[in-house]
Amino acid sequence: MDLLYEYRVFLLAGLLETLKMSLVVALGGTLCAIVLTFGVTSKPTLLRRVSFGLMELLRDLPLMVTVLLVYFMLPAAGVSLNPFWSCCAAISVWGGANGAQILRAGLASVGNGQRETAAAFGFGPLKALLLITLPQAMPVIIPPYVGLLTALVQATSLGSVVGAQELLRSGQVLIEQTTIMRGGSPAYLVYGSILVVYFTLCTLISAIGGRIERHFLRPYASGAEVGAKAHAIEATIPTSA
Amino acid sequence: MTFLDWGYILDALPDLFRGLGMTLMVSALAILFSLTLGLIGCTLRRSRFKPAGYAVAAYVEFIRGTPYLVQIFFVFYGLPSLGLTLSIFWSGVLALTLWASAFHIESFRAGLSSVSKDIHNASSSLGLRPWHHGLFVVLPIALRSALPSTLNTVVGTIKNSAYLQAIGLVELTFVAVDRIAQEFRSVEMFLSICVIYLVVILGISALGHRLEKRLNRPYAAR
Repeated sequence: MDLLYEYRVFLLAGLLETLKMSLVVALGGTLCAIVLTFGVTSKPTLLRRVSFGLMELLRDLPLMVTVLLVYFMLPAAGVSLNPFWSCCAAISVWGGANGAQILRAGLASVGNGQRETAAAFGFGPLKALLLITLPQAMPVIIPPYVGLLTALVQATSLGSVVGAQELLRSGQVLIEQTTIMRGGSPAYLVYGSILVVYFTLCTLISAIGGRIERHFLRPYASGAEVGAKAHAIEATIPTSA
Repeated sequence: MTFLDWGYILDALPDLFRGLGMTLMVSALAILFSLTLGLIGCTLRRSRFKPAGYAVAAYVEFIRGTPYLVQIFFVFYGLPSLGLTLSIFWSGVLALTLWASAFHIESFRAGLSSVSKDIHNASSSLGLRPWHHGLFVVLPIALRSALPSTLNTVVGTIKNSAYLQAIGLVELTFVAVDRIAQEFRSVEMFLSICVIYLVVILGISALGHRLEKRLNRPYAAR
């Protein structure tokens, strides 16, 4: 424990970087998810098929491969990003593909009658989506989406593989240094503490998610049916990484 | 010269398939162990002995709330100083098993709780013995509703085996990255491993869907 306290500034800098990455991938992932959802639900056949193929491809490949692929291939495509942004980009598109799956399934869980009724009342497509369909889909979308957000936060640890200076990388550096200088590996202590930090972070996100979920469940007498739909979606996405 | 060097891919294929063999080996062992541990954990979770139930619940929450990569590092680098030294291979199997069993426990539990109490009453009024009831009535129903999330975890186990390249296990991703580091043919290598992963993962998903369909057959008429 003394060791952790001694290097607290170094480790806190790593934590700060992890938090920054988490924020970027949460926002970036949501943005990608929205764009992809419009793609997979769009009218033009080609656009729909391409978006669908992209979504399935990203969902089926291991995240580790996606992260490495973006890191190694972007320079070849003429885009140079530092490890931080390259890793954020990879996790964001991965999160976007899984987020799109949640949004698509969540919106589909609202009966077609609702959309038709909205159209009959003169609502345009966007207005019907935002005012009629989405609010009803929210209680189905929120639980799996919160699960996905915790997975995204956990996924930022992959930054260490491509050399982003986040919490896990800081821990690795600290272990290397102390093993060389003092002998005896403090690995169990450092990695154990990092596990606890991530656990706290994810528990916090789940707790906040639970409150939001309850807010959207208020109009329902029993959340059982909605809960079952949310659970069915949750079974198709990763809630951990 | 074309964009893709097919000859290079062909030359690398034996290496890649050796890597794939390792990926499948680690995953198969981890899937086997984690399904077993999942069943045991789920039984403990539902047992009347409360502390065991709480311990399992805490374990599930902890695994789900922490990054898999850190778990791997903890197992491989951390456990030796706590007195348990494992080879890279067995560290990988252990880390994958620990991760997957947490998810299996959760999906088995959800599957079992989807079996309603009425069915229990129906069985006992038909005079079924408890183990008959468990094996021939509850298990098929529970299995059917647990299957989608169980399959998700099984496929996830194969995908997550790619993380093991971080501790130096020579599996498919490691082979590709290793060759890229030496020969810089990133396009060829990534194309190859993406195709291989897709074939394996889509193949197993398809098998799973067939199983799901088969188990859903008695309900299809409704």
